[in-house]
Amino acid sequence: MTSTQPTQRLARIGVDVGGTFTDLVLYDPSRQLALTGKLLTTPEDPSIAIINGIKRILSEAGLQPSDLHSVVHGTTLVTNTIIERTGAVVGLITTSGFRDTIEIGRETRYDLYDLFLEMPPVIVPRARRLEVAERVTSEGDVLVDLDEDAVARAARRLVEDSKAEALAISFLHSYRSDRHEQRAAKIVRALYPSLPLSLSSQVAPEIREFERTTTTCANAYVQPLMHRYLDKLEAELVELGFAGRLHIMLSSGGITTVREAKAFPIRLIESGPAAGAMAASFISRIAGLDRVISFDMGGTTAKICLIEDGQPDHKFDFEAGRVRRFQKGSGLPLKVSVVDMIEIGAGGGSLARVDPSSGLLKVGPRSAGSVPGPVCYGRGGDQPTVTDADLVLGRLDPAYFLGGELELDVDLVRSAFDGKISTAINLDVDEAALGVQRIVDETMAAATRMHLAEKGKDPRKYTLIAFGGAGPVHAFNLARLLKVEKMVVPLGAGVASALGFLVAPPATDMVRTMVSRLDAVDWTAINALYADMKAEGVSLLCEAGAIEEQITFKATAEMRHRGQGFEIPVALPSLVLSDEHLDAIRETFFMSYRAQFGRILEDSPIEVLNWRLACSAAGTDISIGQGHAVADATLEGARRGTRKVKFEGHGWLDCAVYNRYMLPAGCKFSGPALVEERESTCVIGPDSVVSVDSSRNLIINLWFVN
Amino acid sequence: MADRLTETFDPISLEIYWGRLISIADEAATSLVRTAFSTIVRESNDYATVIMDRNGDSICENTGGIASFSCILPKTTKIFLDRFPLESWRPGDAVITNDPWLATGHLPDFTVVTPIFHMGLLVGFAGCISHSPDVGGSLWAADCHELFEEGIRILPAHLLRAGEWNGTLLDILLGNVRVPRQVLGDLEAQVVANDVAVRRIVEFLDDTGLPDLLALSKTLQRRSDAAMRKAIESVPDGVYSATLDADGFDEQLTRIVCTVTVSGDTMHIDYAGTSPQINRGINCVLNYTHAYSVYPIKCALDPLSPRNEGSYRAITVTAPERSILNPVFPAPVGARQLTGHLLAGVIYQALSTALPDKIIADCGGAPSMRALFSGANQDGSSFSQVLFASGGMGAGPHQDGLSTTAFPTNVGAGSIEAYESVAPLLVWKKGLRTDSGGAGRQRGGLGQEVVIELRTDASARLSLLSDRHNHPAVGILGGLPGAPSVIAFEDGTKPHPKSRSVVEPGRRITLLYAGGGGYGDPRSRDRAAVLADLADGYVSSDAAKLHYGVE
Repeated sequence: MTSTQPTQRLARIGVDVGGTFTDLVLYDPSRQLALTGKLLTTPEDPSIAIINGIKRILSEAGLQPSDLHSVVHGTTLVTNTIIERTGAVVGLITTSGFRDTIEIGRETRYDLYDLFLEMPPVIVPRARRLEVAERVTSEGDVLVDLDEDAVARAARRLVEDSKAEALAISFLHSYRSDRHEQRAAKIVRALYPSLPLSLSSQVAPEIREFERTTTTCANAYVQPLMHRYLDKLEAELVELGFAGRLHIMLSSGGITTVREAKAFPIRLIESGPAAGAMAASFISRIAGLDRVISFDMGGTTAKICLIEDGQPDHKFDFEAGRVRRFQKGSGLPLKVSVVDMIEIGAGGGSLARVDPSSGLLKVGPRSAGSVPGPVCYGRGGDQPTVTDADLVLGRLDPAYFLGGELELDVDLVRSAFDGKISTAINLDVDEAALGVQRIVDETMAAATRMHLAEKGKDPRKYTLIAFGGAGPVHAFNLARLLKVEKMVVPLGAGVASALGFLVAPPATDMVRTMVSRLDAVDWTAINALYADMKAEGVSLLCEAGAIEEQITFKATAEMRHRGQGFEIPVALPSLVLSDEHLDAIRETFFMSYRAQFGRILEDSPIEVLNWRLACSAAGTDISIGQGHAVADATLEGARRGTRKVKFEGHGWLDCAVYNRYMLPAGCKFSGPALVEERESTCVIGPDSVVSVDSSRNLIINLWFVN
Repeated sequence: MADRLTETFDPISLEIYWGRLISIADEAATSLVRTAFSTIVRESNDYATVIMDRNGDSICENTGGIASFSCILPKTTKIFLDRFPLESWRPGDAVITNDPWLATGHLPDFTVVTPIFHMGLLVGFAGCISHSPDVGGSLWAADCHELFEEGIRILPAHLLRAGEWNGTLLDILLGNVRVPRQVLGDLEAQVVANDVAVRRIVEFLDDTGLPDLLALSKTLQRRSDAAMRKAIESVPDGVYSATLDADGFDEQLTRIVCTVTVSGDTMHIDYAGTSPQINRGINCVLNYTHAYSVYPIKCALDPLSPRNEGSYRAITVTAPERSILNPVFPAPVGARQLTGHLLAGVIYQALSTALPDKIIADCGGAPSMRALFSGANQDGSSFSQVLFASGGMGAGPHQDGLSTTAFPTNVGAGSIEAYESVAPLLVWKKGLRTDSGGAGRQRGGLGQEVVIELRTDASARLSLLSDRHNHPAVGILGGLPGAPSVIAFEDGTKPHPKSRSVVEPGRRITLLYAGGGGYGDPRSRDRAAVLADLADGYVSSDAAKLHYGVE
């Protein structure tokens, strides 16, 4: 526990507001009690579902709002605002000659063969992008003084004439010197003290004007909305009697204060998905796994993330609001720290179809969504989906879907397969369903291989942790394709990602750009940068409830050979550096370079671009599982019978079916088998053995017969 | 179609295998781009990776590189096979060439091909093409008189033999370039990219149990061929022609005459009547002519199906020998893109009446305009920096052309902050160019204006590769042309658009990138669209009145 609060308030709640559902999880450490809850999101005012959900889960736990230590909140509000383009009217003030930077962009076509590409619309249209005279060089020297009157004129014009609700200021090379941005901010604040204002030197102080300015404008775009939303939520929590802290989940998987979330709402863009990665990190820690592939498969997408030594990888750019959802390059490139995960259009709802021009079977990326949903829901869907294929193949029990809440219609599915797929490719329904499953699994395997390959990693050395509604259904096949020998499926896999809210530490990431050859770095300047960043990080984390002594710092620099275009992150040995560290830094650079590219270039000069500092309080591990233990549980008692399942290369096999909730810790059985729980079914193929660990995780070991 | 039933692969396995092969080519490409030093590779995607069977026929190619390269690479590989018979290849070999006629049309592109062995048998080849940082010679010039001035030429030879680098070849090559470390680094990147593909193909064969790639290759090529033929069948039979003029070199204008003959499921593209080859480096070898002819056809007719050798079997391309589209050795070819990039525009012009819904107007970014500054920094060290920026795309039947986006190439743009960090250059402006998009029912994409100042005490060299100064991108089906390219100093003097000039310190130079052509009669443009253009300043009020009749 990080908390040394003198009060008795211990219980914590995590709330994830998703597009369809608002998920809640409550943890009371005094009783090792973990509860989950789910209710429909109230899109017109998300706080309604949040407050109702909190009331409900508190009463189930027998607690009062005043018993709560904290509420951790994750939201898709930011990402939805950008996807649906429903943000504020933003005005941009920028360097003379550069108002079109965000519109010109990278000048690249994201699809080489599409003559009629649709580009992501710019967040701030041209008429609201105003230029002022000023110029700073790449060394940070002032070449042209800031025209202060022009700043005031521009601000007035944007606010009075164009009705801007938020302003962004982004000047060239402001990552190197923020003098002009600060001065301009002062002028704007004097005119409009309460107007949300985003400065590029604060939102994303990194070189590359297009990405920095776009990020700054996107921040301004979501700011008014987030201000209103968080103010309202805070007020309602107080009204409820809540006296603890409200924390917000960041895209990086850390949590932060409401104040910080309001200043930099763009950093919440991947708030929800980050929780899943934090949950998988937590599970990897308690299961003692140091190399993990986290696999979260839901209704629309699958998310894959690498977790090493209990922590997810991070990256420092993210593409939001893609015009073509899974097409790289079709969205807005943002400079934000996010958990490094890939998201592909492969989920239970992914649609299967036969492509008329090639005659080949295709699966996804389009999804049936929740309306009409897969054919088997019987709600009007007529195009077979991955879930429908799973049903045909016996992987799902038509009578026990969502714990029996929704009865699935197998006949309807078979006739849909027959009409839409089987005849077109001349295969029977079972074979066609197996084809859908093979394709979706292979798609996920290919994406995972690629993700690991880009980091120079070999999937065979990793353990797969599977969760999400469809994750445990497909994980075994994925493990086979990746030649992974071990997989772990946590209890409550369908809602496991909410655990991430409870285990996430207060954290923040900072960056400064100072381009220099490694052998010519001005260490005094760099040490000053780090001292600055450290002070800022400590103050922020303490405000979020961290103890200063427990904060850990991780400094990295992004380096490359001079002339190359891709930087690799290199861990730095200290926050106070000198030439004495040069050899060690160079060594680490070469190690990472070799790991990623398989070779090194020893005599080619190295340069550094960005200097980063990650600050994190201690992680909060919780203890769950024991609370759920059923007395006198036995393997036989958990057995629900037998079901036939079709496996690739094996045909139909009899599988023992187990009730997940009745499986005792320490029991062992072999595949093929099915383990059912409310929100998901874990499918275990032949040539494997399953055991249940003390945290009630299913541990599945696979062997490969060659 | 009939033989589909006799195929050994079901439509599910085929989908899975095909997807996996493409992801192998993509993985090789990722490795190549990340470790390459060449900014051309990075910013203008000037590379490709291709997987081939043992006959040198392509099976698949990477998703994001230069589309035209991947249809040249298998041809080069077949030449390698003539030179080095199948039985002579060993694991760990790599063969290289940069011969313009055998490969991609100019010396800076190195083609490297590596054999794939599986269980002791040669089953295929992994190949890649990458634009080298330097090949000696004139560097970035369109003004050479002979190939020999343009750099060093490597005829097909082993770069590696059974894992050992060919030291003699490397010594000769690296002894003739300005930045040997970077040139070697990029060759290593190419070798590594091929090795990645080789490893993954072997794993693929192990996983699937396939003995080799031949049966799969033939099946996939047949699928691609069938898809293209089906698409061509939808085009009405006929002979379609068009002519396009470009600036050429000094007094020698370039004229492209294009005749497209569609007959059933085949298409023939012929360039009889095109300008003769000239003694300047804008000649375009037939390989390149072919590649830049079939690429726009693929975009217009069959953009979705995966590409390989089969995709282009139904299309033939001819150009008269000794024309600018089929020059003979040792014609200078250094800036062959200045001619090759024009082909998409003239082909679409020819097909505009037959396929009005599938084509776009001529593009301002074809050919791409490149400016290279080189000289000495204040501390005496040297710099050499290319500015990447593009003109506007031509308008399409239902949408305005994309502004500042290149077609048929895919030149990206780097960051100005990064540009200024590595060279003593200051960019005063980089913005959209009002009224540069050709007027039309759909408006051409806007070009841009870039203003640059040299910030050293010594003068520097400016090398320009550009066209469209006197021949703007033309409109289509009643659309008007876009604005032409302009490159000028403050005092109005103009440097040679395809040669090398001297830039004095403190002197600003303005580069105006051409706009795309318009589509359809401007008077039929939606009034609301004109008003929106006015509000955004894409179109001036004068132009709105003149072309659209909107006040």
